[in-house]
Amino acid sequence: MDLAPEHAIIAKGVVKTFRKKGRRKYGIGPKITPDELIYAVNGVDLTVRRGELFGLLGPNGAGKTTLVKCLSTLLLPNKGTAIISGHDIINDPIAARECIGITTGGERTLYWKLSGRDNLRYFAALYGLSSEEADRRISYLMKIMGLEDRQYERIEKYSTGMRQKVSISRALIHDPPVLLLDEPTLGLDPSFSRFIRSFIKKDLNQKQKKTIILTTHYMDEADQLCDRIAIMNEGKIVAVDTPEVLKRRIPQDEVLEVRCLGHADFSGIGQRVYADSVEGVTIYRIHAENVEDIMSQVIQAAHSAKILSMNVTKPTLEDVFIHLTGARLTGEDNEQ
Amino acid sequence: MSSELFLVKEEIKKNIKILLCYPVEIMFWAIFPILWVIPFIFQGEALVGGSTSSQFKELAGTEQFIPFVLIGAIISTYLFSSLYGMGGSIRMESYWGTLEYILGSPARKISVLMGKALSESISSTFFVATQVLICVFGFGLKLTVAKVLPILLVLLLLVAGLYGMAIALAGVTLQIKESRSLVHTIEYLFYLFSPIRYPVGINPVIATVSLVIPLTYALIAIRGIWLLNQPMSTLWGYVGLLALLDVIFIGVGYTIFYYMEKRVRKSGSVSQY
Repeated sequence: MDLAPEHAIIAKGVVKTFRKKGRRKYGIGPKITPDELIYAVNGVDLTVRRGELFGLLGPNGAGKTTLVKCLSTLLLPNKGTAIISGHDIINDPIAARECIGITTGGERTLYWKLSGRDNLRYFAALYGLSSEEADRRISYLMKIMGLEDRQYERIEKYSTGMRQKVSISRALIHDPPVLLLDEPTLGLDPSFSRFIRSFIKKDLNQKQKKTIILTTHYMDEADQLCDRIAIMNEGKIVAVDTPEVLKRRIPQDEVLEVRCLGHADFSGIGQRVYADSVEGVTIYRIHAENVEDIMSQVIQAAHSAKILSMNVTKPTLEDVFIHLTGARLTGEDNEQ
Repeated sequence: MSSELFLVKEEIKKNIKILLCYPVEIMFWAIFPILWVIPFIFQGEALVGGSTSSQFKELAGTEQFIPFVLIGAIISTYLFSSLYGMGGSIRMESYWGTLEYILGSPARKISVLMGKALSESISSTFFVATQVLICVFGFGLKLTVAKVLPILLVLLLLVAGLYGMAIALAGVTLQIKESRSLVHTIEYLFYLFSPIRYPVGINPVIATVSLVIPLTYALIAIRGIWLLNQPMSTLWGYVGLLALLDVIFIGVGYTIFYYMEKRVRKSGSVSQY
């Protein structure tokens, strides 16, 4: 597989399957048939340009993390392969790892009994840095992350956001050209999320020209940050394009968002209606070519429910996702 | 090469720093082997009716079974720490969520394992030194300065062999996650088939199996130096066999680890607990 100079990552036909639970442990038992396998990643082809901020968007269980783990060589694909900065992840995994910085979700990925600085020193050693290089990189990263004053404190005394900053610093410790950031803002409060997002976009992508694959299930995050987005569902990539082009895939121009208490029957109004419930409030998104034309019908149909608000919006990435897969992105963080 | 050494050093620093966060654990590890051996001393005295036995001398070369058992207990600290330490360390990395980052790094895993082995050895040596002091001042075991160097040489070779096995166990831990039962079983097999608590000559089957266990040669050599005042020239054969077993154990251990690492990347169980 050839890698054009402008491409940092190419994945070709990546398949990763897992056994269903309880089947053929330690090679004992009848042979596994294909229907007893879960296809976490199912034939993914992907091309990411150098310096591109590429989003992987999908609900929990879509296969985003598994794909990232395959790209990072943590998992061996059953089929297919990928080239990272010119190195095949199967034939030359060590060289591929040298080009990758990875951060996975969850704050328990650091040594809590060690200081932030000691953590980074250890990971610097894992990436082959010398003691002097490690000290220089750590000082730089601690400074840009605003952790200089706390660098000698144990991680257990850090807040969740500070731990995430150390996690991202770890991914950057060897200054890799490619970053795989798996849900980097998951569970962070809004101010830390804003900092991390801005850091990813402005510092890492625009200033340092890093190639970044960002997995998220926050639509706004993907929309704001990513140059292109791949929408994943059930292990497959169902669409890849810029956020704007993806949103143009929705045939209707406008969406009427109706928030109400109780349930209303909007079937037959507009071209498409989706409903969701958040903390007792039902949110209907009614797609129409011209919202004004359906307004009176909506008010009439909502007689059994109490309308709290009506807003005319443009289609979002979630609408695109629903349009493409018929399912909703789940696990939304309301503060996002 | 310098970056490999830096990694080994950082691995040792990391493990020692984390260990020092749990002082009660350190105390337990230091006194446990002594507490463990005292019942055997009393049991032996009760059975024999004193601290010496001519029957024991025929099998062990010394009639004093208390020093014999104490040395077995001291040396078994390395057995205990290596078997539990390495697999346990991998298990802890898995709990901490850091294992994925170690396996996902370009570092040679043998350097990481070496760092883990050395940090275990450093802490074990600290415990052993404590035990030796207890044995010398508490139980009247005599140790001259001239004997220390040959004993250290044998210990070094013993530790290398044990860590070969520990590396294999670390690999198995990657796959099966919870390896305590397996470690217990291996530990007890070692107690059964090597002269830790008794001379292996007591049973021909035990004596035969003990020939493939590094602890056997290490204990024979160390007791020879320490208790029987044998010159090193009479013990080189045991030291050579110990070195040979080291090569085999380390080779097999690393092969198993390498295989298991590949296996968990295939099965996807790296991030499972």
